[in-house]
Amino acid sequence: MSVRDFLLTREGLHSWLSRLARDYPLIAPVEEEKGVITFKQVGGPQEIVFDCAPSTLPPKEWFLPSTEELFAFSTAGGGITLQEPPGPKERVLFGLHPCDVRALLALDPVFGGTYPDPYYLGRRKATIIVALSCTKPGPYCFCPAVGGDPVVAAGADLLLTESGSSFAVKAMTSRGEEIIQRYPGHFAPDEEGRGERARQELAGQLAGMFAFLPDLRGVKEFLDGHFELPYWEEVASRCLGCGICTYTCPTCHCFDIFDQSWDGARGLRARCWDSCMFSQFTRMAGGHNPRPTQKERVRNRFLHKLKYHQDRYGLGGCVGCGRCVAKCPVNIDIRRIIGDLKELASHG
Amino acid sequence: MRETARQLLREREVGLVIGYAAGSEAYWVTPAFIKEEAQADRLVWNPFCVNSLAKYLINYHHEPYKVAVVVKGCDSRALVRLLQDNQVQREKVVVIGIPCLGVVDAKAAALKIAPGTRILGASVTDGEFLLQTESGTLSLPRGEALCAKCRYCENPTPVLADTLLAEEVAAEPAANIYAEVREVESWPREKRSAFWDGHFQRCLRCYACRNICPACTCRECVFDQTDPCWVAKAHNLSENTAFHLIRAMHVAGRCVDCGECERACPVNIPLRLLNQKVIKDIKELFGVSTPGSRLDEMPALGMFATEDPDEFN
Amino acid sequence: MDNPLKPYPATIVKITDETPDVKTFQIVFDDPGVWDHFRHKPGQVAQISVFGVGEATISITSSPTRKGLLEFSVKRVGLLTGALHQLEAGSKVGIRGPLGNHFPYEEMKGSDLLFIGGGIGLAPLRALIDFVLDGENRSHYGQVEIIYGARSAADLCFKDDLFNRWPHMPGTKVYLTIDRPEEGWNGHVGFVPSYLEEISPSPRNRFAITCGPPVMIKFVLSALQKLGFPDERIITTLEMKMKCGVGKCGRCNIGSKFVCVDGPVFYLSQLKELPPEF
Repeated sequence: MSVRDFLLTREGLHSWLSRLARDYPLIAPVEEEKGVITFKQVGGPQEIVFDCAPSTLPPKEWFLPSTEELFAFSTAGGGITLQEPPGPKERVLFGLHPCDVRALLALDPVFGGTYPDPYYLGRRKATIIVALSCTKPGPYCFCPAVGGDPVVAAGADLLLTESGSSFAVKAMTSRGEEIIQRYPGHFAPDEEGRGERARQELAGQLAGMFAFLPDLRGVKEFLDGHFELPYWEEVASRCLGCGICTYTCPTCHCFDIFDQSWDGARGLRARCWDSCMFSQFTRMAGGHNPRPTQKERVRNRFLHKLKYHQDRYGLGGCVGCGRCVAKCPVNIDIRRIIGDLKELASHG
Repeated sequence: MRETARQLLREREVGLVIGYAAGSEAYWVTPAFIKEEAQADRLVWNPFCVNSLAKYLINYHHEPYKVAVVVKGCDSRALVRLLQDNQVQREKVVVIGIPCLGVVDAKAAALKIAPGTRILGASVTDGEFLLQTESGTLSLPRGEALCAKCRYCENPTPVLADTLLAEEVAAEPAANIYAEVREVESWPREKRSAFWDGHFQRCLRCYACRNICPACTCRECVFDQTDPCWVAKAHNLSENTAFHLIRAMHVAGRCVDCGECERACPVNIPLRLLNQKVIKDIKELFGVSTPGSRLDEMPALGMFATEDPDEFN
Repeated sequence: MDNPLKPYPATIVKITDETPDVKTFQIVFDDPGVWDHFRHKPGQVAQISVFGVGEATISITSSPTRKGLLEFSVKRVGLLTGALHQLEAGSKVGIRGPLGNHFPYEEMKGSDLLFIGGGIGLAPLRALIDFVLDGENRSHYGQVEIIYGARSAADLCFKDDLFNRWPHMPGTKVYLTIDRPEEGWNGHVGFVPSYLEEISPSPRNRFAITCGPPVMIKFVLSALQKLGFPDERIITTLEMKMKCGVGKCGRCNIGSKFVCVDGPVFYLSQLKELPPEF
């Protein structure tokens, strides 16, 4: 059996990241604007924010861009030619937290399945994922409540865990092993199980650090039997109907498709993020709207997170990153929603 | 506030009170819609009551009952705005005004508080923001803790209210409200362009700025129209810029400078700065006050006078 | 479909005016080889592209037994359908599909069929009507009855089928109605659900398949239940706003079902399990 655990010094990490940035497009969290951390291509480790709170925006942009071309069309010569853009080059996505990796696992069956989406899947295939265990949860994090674990990142190729002055590195896939082999001299084999001990120790420390862990037990079962609840009206009365919660969510993936053309003969078909919170989202050309008010829209979003995604794919639709909590301008907080539903469930 | 709400509901003077309830974190509040007297205890007032609640009135304008709404000074300008646009009928609103020394930017407060610290109370005085926690009282200078809009407040006391819940607070002597705007104005064109491009390219087009805006009350927004499609759905610098500039022009003369757009923005685009530039220019051109300050002063771009500047002549 | 979001290039070969705001488009694939793996089934839908304008989900109104071409009947209601109505024969379009499930025509074998349509809602039913009436298929099915209504005589779609073709097929009856009396109309006047109750077809060994405006469907479903049709033999096809058509873009869900992949065809027994968001 090949060694799958390695150790990397802090200096080693920096020089490895510098090499990665030369050899691949390296994408990592950066502070794009004061207080706004997003995943961007970087020139080297000096630009990367290693701090552990979740980034302002999730890395989903790198798999489902906010706007992307599906194909170009041209009607020159009497026929129609459709040309898809070239697929992505192999790249390294560094610094995803375990919740963000889990979010990708929740998106995979949406874009896979009977009708595989070549754009998303092409990017997934082209991306080497280097995850980073959390060393301190953000103020709104609640991943353990939805089955997550801040030091486990199944789905990543490599998992790095900070431990004192070095990093424990775990290769989770053969692709992860390959990338370690490609950079000899950076990684020392971890033969004494230090990485495993470090992860366990960290998990123990983190356990008590989550400020607000809602109790999800029984909530889905309650929602299975209760679609119509006056409670949703209360939530909707506060909701602005903006797209913040959906656009900052790592598992929200709704999109719109549109054409752009300047002369009718040539143009693009593209897709861009859309939000189930928007009033026109389900409005049909004839005017009929199956979710006509914010009540139906708010209910749809929370049911999607807490029930529908589970029903359809057997996976939770919320990974507990707390981004929607951090950013909602009217403090609609999914942790509270879960708590309120739990309360409603217990009162029959 | 709770007593006022209870009384209004008990005497059936209103069918609904819109106020603030405790949020999920001590430095947040959430809008509360109180319909029963017994629920009035949920209402709170503290320095974190930053949301403007006036726009919620629009959702109730078809209801047969009157609605009471809690407003700070800046929010009262939003209410005046809505009244002037006939979005809200004066006789259907009971205005509960709260003179205010300023509200606190939760982002700034959250940064200063160690995670997990329990907050016991908070207050704003003339000079500082005090936060009582388990581990003692934390004091921050007003300038650091308060929302930017509160640092120079034109209307600490609501300009319109049926009841005032505290002593009036006098406005500070007119300070240099538009210092930041002047600063940006002084930059060369290239620097200004790079500044705004940098911000607009981050825009997610979540429309929180529009949806929270008390001047944005169109039944169908131009940005939602698909035929004709004025601004494409694509998220890119050109479309994002068009969105923000069109929006700034649409609310010109009606933006009450409540700063809610900037507070709501998830990616920290300085939208208030953009709108303040327009307010400042309109004030200079037409000699009007900040929109919403006076019920009897119609929006500068919603009326005309023979002495208006006529630069096209 | 190696890329489910990329349409097949196709050409409009014929356009028929059905009503003042409905046109039927006959479309053939530019690459005739596409037909061999397209293989749609009655009840399925497709996305029609007008390049530069966008796409719309339209039910395929021709039976798969009509080889080599597809027909779509399109009511002019929005941007895309408006653009489609402006096109002429010879225009290039794109076709993406077939999408969604289909009518359970295997299960229906040996049964009588009752079709109840309103307005443009006859379009998806027509694919199944022509399928069961076609050649050898006819012997597998019992009586075929079609109850169909529109606002006025001019708004009746597929007039040639309704007046000249279907009534003359063996074991087939057509009942027509319009909403309000008008000059020159000697037929029935009244709404479809009440006409259905008047005709009062027996639920014995019969499937009822309905499509029309949401309000008509609602009353037809309750009329059918009153007549004693079991929920497992009442079938409808739903219309929702769709973009991707392949279960990804997230807008046509009713609860955890997507109309684009789990529908558009639903038994009433299935609909009753879903939240009322359609």
